[in-house]
Amino acid sequence: MVDGVTATIQIASLILAVWCLVSTFRDQPMVVPHLVGVAVLWLLTIGQAVVATVQMAGGERPAETATFISYLATIVLIPPACAVWGFWERSRWGPAVIAFACLILPVMTVRLEQLWDPALV
Amino acid sequence: MSETKSRTGPGRVLIAVYAVFALAATARATVQILTRFDEAPLAYLLSAFAGVVYIVATVGIARTGETSHRVAAVACTVELLGVLIVGALSMVSPATFPDDTVWSRFGSGYLFIPLVLPVLGLLWLRHLARLGRRPVSPARPRPASETHAPNGARPGTR
Repeated sequence: MVDGVTATIQIASLILAVWCLVSTFRDQPMVVPHLVGVAVLWLLTIGQAVVATVQMAGGERPAETATFISYLATIVLIPPACAVWGFWERSRWGPAVIAFACLILPVMTVRLEQLWDPALV
Repeated sequence: MSETKSRTGPGRVLIAVYAVFALAATARATVQILTRFDEAPLAYLLSAFAGVVYIVATVGIARTGETSHRVAAVACTVELLGVLIVGALSMVSPATFPDDTVWSRFGSGYLFIPLVLPVLGLLWLRHLARLGRRPVSPARPRPASETHAPNGARPGTR
């Protein structure tokens, strides 16, 4: 786990959440720029997962490995899942789902960070 | 009407939130029960139960039809009671719940979403029920025979 990546994911995710909330209130459906934002977020989470996997393969083990891996997997799945949701719902509520997902993501990365290094709690 | 509306608009957001909660609560409980059930059996069983209720509510809201929505309403009510009762118990006697559940301290570990979610769910279901009852187009006058048919057709009475 690289701290810089976690912080970047959190900031990017919150920015995307605010943007999507603005779109929701302005009654706009999901558009391509939203998707690009989600894609960037997805790449960041994939990067985080790859780094964590490499470190785990190198012998570093978080306290609760099973929980850690399931959190990591969920975090990687969230961006594509909310993008699919945005495609289904061609109204203001598409960005609303993405905004919700982008608010969960930082919370989950905090939890991931805590599992990786319990000293941080 | 209610058949199509439950999966669109705000309903879709609600389903997304519910789905995440169902996943989170069930996955957490599964890990806890498999790895350290002895530490806090009551708390972990409660988490598992909460997870199942969230799954039922998610499916109930996502599915169409009155029966599904009634099931979802029951699930939401159970959630609301659960978060209130367990929340209160966990404040009064923390020893009963050595480890946190989704509902402990009124869901404070989950940003109080467990407290808000069932209320939103019930409001949404009520909204759907009203949509279903309301006629789609502006009131069309019905033929008089249709409106009175059920009462007039009772057999054996004069």
